[in-house]
Amino acid sequence: MHAWQPMVEAAGRDFGEGRPEVWGEVIERSMVRRYIEPLELDCRLHSDPDFARAHGYADVVVPSTAIASFAMPLLWQPGDAPLFTEASRHAQPTRSHVGGITFGLEPPTTHFFAVDAAADYLLPVVAGDRLCRFGALLLSCHPKQTRLGRGAFIAWQTRVINQRREPVALLRTTFYRYNPQAQA
Amino acid sequence: MTQRLWHQVQAGEDLAPVACPLSTVRLVMAAGANRDFNSIHHDADFARASGAPDSYANTFFLQGLWERCVRAYIGPAGSIRALSGFAMKAFHTPGQTVTVQARVERKWMEGGLGLVEIAIHSRTDAGLTVGPGRVLASLPLR
Repeated sequence: MHAWQPMVEAAGRDFGEGRPEVWGEVIERSMVRRYIEPLELDCRLHSDPDFARAHGYADVVVPSTAIASFAMPLLWQPGDAPLFTEASRHAQPTRSHVGGITFGLEPPTTHFFAVDAAADYLLPVVAGDRLCRFGALLLSCHPKQTRLGRGAFIAWQTRVINQRREPVALLRTTFYRYNPQAQA
Repeated sequence: MTQRLWHQVQAGEDLAPVACPLSTVRLVMAAGANRDFNSIHHDADFARASGAPDSYANTFFLQGLWERCVRAYIGPAGSIRALSGFAMKAFHTPGQTVTVQARVERKWMEGGLGLVEIAIHSRTDAGLTVGPGRVLASLPLR
């Protein structure tokens, strides 16, 4: 059987059911300002609370494309096990919140990147809100050898909810998980 | 940023393009801000070992450039409601300039909202790099 077959057959399953909720930090204005900084996203909704209020928002507005980022939890906080355990140039942290979700049905891969994204933005998100990715619906899994290596394209759908448990966004992302050519 | 109204929108109208020169510092700032710490986005050796030509811009950053382009058009009273077709076709590496180009495809009223569908893509000197995709947005009626 193909190594990815369990994932292929799991399409349609929500892997988020029964899992503990993981919340991002309370969104602060400085997080928003830093998000727009490298983008040079010059709109005062994202930096000026008075301007945002004058446009009907409770505080500075989180850019729509930042919602997925701001729903990610901290990688480390007091009491957690160490995040960095190895001194080498390319050593990886022991935890990561990018790259989608893995649930043990996947064969081991060393690399991934996002290839496709779509989103419905349902409600505004402002400073002071807190976000959580809710649910992890596996939409599809397509094994494929590419010029980069051997792996699979895996599409997920997840909702993002706020502290009032209102859905603020519906996100669909496809990742390519693979082992580079030399390892494949 | 001036506020455009929905009745002023013309189907077929081009949005002002956004040109974004990429450097390693910019990619590192973006990774710090959007917390995509995948090493492919800041570590050139790691990226090359993955099959890429160099470190490259992450998804949040590239999506943010689409938002910047659309936000400048719809103004602060507009709302971005959906994004689709954000398909990445190439790596965006330091030394390249990414340009976002967009055009109003159509406009219509629905549920009292003035909506526009914007066709949008990113390109570099190498050609099309992201998309073509769509952004659904609303603009104020008055």
